[in-house]
Amino acid sequence: MGESGEMLDNSYVIRPNFQHKFKPATAKECIHQILKEELVSKQYDPEQVPALTRALSEAVKDKLKEMGYDRYKLVVQVVIGEQRGEGVKMAARCFWDADTDNYAQDIYMNEILLLHLPLLVLQSDPCW
Amino acid sequence: MHSRVNQWTSNVVEQCLSQLAKLGKPFKYIVTCVIMQKNGAGLQTASSCFWDNSTDGSCTVRWENKSMYCIVSVFGLAL
Repeated sequence: MGESGEMLDNSYVIRPNFQHKFKPATAKECIHQILKEELVSKQYDPEQVPALTRALSEAVKDKLKEMGYDRYKLVVQVVIGEQRGEGVKMAARCFWDADTDNYAQDIYMNEILLLHLPLLVLQSDPCW
Repeated sequence: MHSRVNQWTSNVVEQCLSQLAKLGKPFKYIVTCVIMQKNGAGLQTASSCFWDNSTDGSCTVRWENKSMYCIVSVFGLAL
């Protein structure tokens, strides 16, 4: 993006092409794969969980970037809770451009823990 | 009060967002709110973001009373 010293030509594209648009269904599949692999028999250990949440959010973010959404900004949030019968409610609201921005989420539960992963994708401004 | 929690999360999030929108700055906002009953269980949240560090940022506020915890996160992305 000009930091390496090379100048890229202007593309004059302000909105993503239909092929490059963010598809929530494919993203959800991708998230689901990662969650299944990482959490198949994990327990809730207060020492390890902070590192696990951070690692998971980084992993999902990197995988999504590989899928080709290079002109998008991404926000990945991971919430891990211990299953002890407590009630939890989560809500989110966004102020964005409905044509280009979207979100995908996944929920994973086993007997010990519950994980909710909302992923929000926003188009970045063309700055080339 | 299981029946009221839904309404509380919605209200918190909508009011935060409308106050942010009133600021009139050129930003896109995402507001999330988690309300959890105090039951001795643990909860951990983390987020990872791919954005422009010089213009975008986030902020998280934790609040509690005798029966519940509330965590609100706001992400702001420059236009």
